[in-house]
Amino acid sequence: MGLGDWLNDRTGYRAGLRRVLDEPVPGDVNWWFTLGSVLLFLLALQFVTGITLTMYYAPTPAHAYDSLRFITTQLQFGRMLRGLHFYGASFIVVFAVLHLLRVLFFGAYKSPREVTWMTGIVLLLLVLAFGLTGYLLPWDQRAYWATVVTINIAKSTPLVGPYIADIMRGGPDIGALTLSRWYSTHVILLPVGVLLFVVTHLYLMRRHGIAGHFNPRPLPTSPFYPVHAVKDTIVIAAVFALLFTLAAYTKAPLMGVADPSDASYVPRPEWYFLGLFQLLKYFPGKLEPVGAIGIPTLVVALLFLLPFLDRRPERDPRARPRVSAVVTLVVVAVSTLTWLGFRDTPVEQDPANWSPRAVAGLDIATSQRCVRCHAPGGAGPDLGRGRINRDVQWIQTHVADPDMIAGGLRTPPPEGLKTQETRAVVAWVQKVREGAPLPHVAGAERLAFDVFATRCITCHTIDGDGGKEGPDLSHAGKKHDAAWFAKWIADPSSINPDSDMPAFRGRLTDDEMQAIAGFLAARR
Amino acid sequence: MHHPAPEPPLTPAEISRRRWLRSVIGAIVGSISSVVAVIVGGAIVAPALATRAAGWVPAGRLRDLDDDVPTPVTVRVTREDGYYEAVDQRVIFLVRSAGGSVKALSTTCTHLGCHVSYDPASKLIKCPCHGGVFTPDGRNVAGPPPRPLAELPVRVDASQVFVQL
Repeated sequence: MGLGDWLNDRTGYRAGLRRVLDEPVPGDVNWWFTLGSVLLFLLALQFVTGITLTMYYAPTPAHAYDSLRFITTQLQFGRMLRGLHFYGASFIVVFAVLHLLRVLFFGAYKSPREVTWMTGIVLLLLVLAFGLTGYLLPWDQRAYWATVVTINIAKSTPLVGPYIADIMRGGPDIGALTLSRWYSTHVILLPVGVLLFVVTHLYLMRRHGIAGHFNPRPLPTSPFYPVHAVKDTIVIAAVFALLFTLAAYTKAPLMGVADPSDASYVPRPEWYFLGLFQLLKYFPGKLEPVGAIGIPTLVVALLFLLPFLDRRPERDPRARPRVSAVVTLVVVAVSTLTWLGFRDTPVEQDPANWSPRAVAGLDIATSQRCVRCHAPGGAGPDLGRGRINRDVQWIQTHVADPDMIAGGLRTPPPEGLKTQETRAVVAWVQKVREGAPLPHVAGAERLAFDVFATRCITCHTIDGDGGKEGPDLSHAGKKHDAAWFAKWIADPSSINPDSDMPAFRGRLTDDEMQAIAGFLAARR
Repeated sequence: MHHPAPEPPLTPAEISRRRWLRSVIGAIVGSISSVVAVIVGGAIVAPALATRAAGWVPAGRLRDLDDDVPTPVTVRVTREDGYYEAVDQRVIFLVRSAGGSVKALSTTCTHLGCHVSYDPASKLIKCPCHGGVFTPDGRNVAGPPPRPLAELPVRVDASQVFVQL
């Protein structure tokens, strides 16, 4: 007796396997019936990639972002792993909706399959909850601000809203407790829920058999394996090839690290919540709960109770015009809202665009006074690796007076950095942490960036960053040309005797003044 | 309720068709599983194979050392640890011989990894766990330790001692 025979004798696995594989399937079951298997495959793939990601992900505000950057930039196959998990989530939403529409179209939710349908709706909600909780985990700007919005939507629920929001946050603020409870929900609670409901869904599917076509033809049945399984497998192969290509050739997005103090960021949800996000725009003020809670709840309740609202046995969509019309209407509405949401999406800032501050910071940080300690094998960590976990205040204190923090390791530099230089280095550190490519700024423009970010920025703003004492220079070139700027910067009183701006002749070199004048004239 | 017709007996052609279908399924499932296994397996195994590059760390000044007396020195080692940089404080012995050459010794006992310390009274390095005894230059002379204390590469640069960790 071989090992297989022995195992079969003790467990009876062969009979069980035969029962699973030999299910008689109606002969008119076509390619539309492969969608459930695709979902099963995608869910399994999310489990496998998700478990692997948890080996490297750290669910704390201090480390989440850096651990993700480690996964995508340093871990072998890490980018691929995250890509599969990230795009896999979107694939699941797409195929779940297609699967749902297939069942709606073929009228397969009708008696005796009401409970199968209801478990399916629960699974759809669980999948969306996965998307929502997973979105926070990278702890980047998108994650943070989308979660702020999500929690505020929950907060608008009548009566219980504020309590729900507190529970979602784990306190009055979004922070460490929020991240860890969303993580726990994402990797333990929801997987257990999905597992339970998938098993129930499959059990019920087998219990009632596949509904098949609404106008059945008298074809003989055939066993699921291999006659129908081959179709499932081919579709799964195509879906996997598509997902693999997407993960290999497009980078799953990762913005700058979450910054609760940055009020300029415009939050965006993941695309499958864009429709809902767009809907809220039409319900301002007191009406907001109608769009945020009312309409979605109504749609879900309608879906959930559909088998009881449409109880006649006809399955042909032409024989039940009211259901077909409402379904079409909902599909068109959701698609339109999603499309409108897409159209309104602001352009994400290209990480390759560097502000003058960040460029100046790069030039300071790669100058001798930083590099003599911050180099491979030096007393300080190599800054170019973007592993800076210190907060902004610490960095400011340190660059202003390195000796104060790293006391006794070396002789202090002749002078510390000035405030604007410090802020420039901090801006550069943020870029490094984001893993931004080096800036394409050279020559006179680079010199202008360096001067602007260490001098002019004290009083003048460009692109929303800088002091308010002087005029905003974002579009300075619309008013004056380079020659005028050169004259003005050298000595403002030669043009306007009442100007408060100091003269820079003698404080800046001629090259620096030429560079900054040309830079400002080009800002249109 | 509609009942589909049961399956008729299989013809030899159908049997061979199904055999072929089974091999198609097997090939696809095998390919997808291998791709996923390489990605997941690679991601899990790769960090285990990484080696750490040793760097030179300043460990003190030559003139602060006494001849033939192991001086415990705490060195600060930054070490890349996945997504963050860990800072380890490690204690080593610096021993200057009468001739002027410097040795750096690990303070980890070669028996079971306890931390040894220098006993000035007996002029021996002793392990608190199982009574291992070493001479000031690291030779194992009594107790269970099977080997001398590990010696670390040392470099002296302008009277500053560097060790490689």
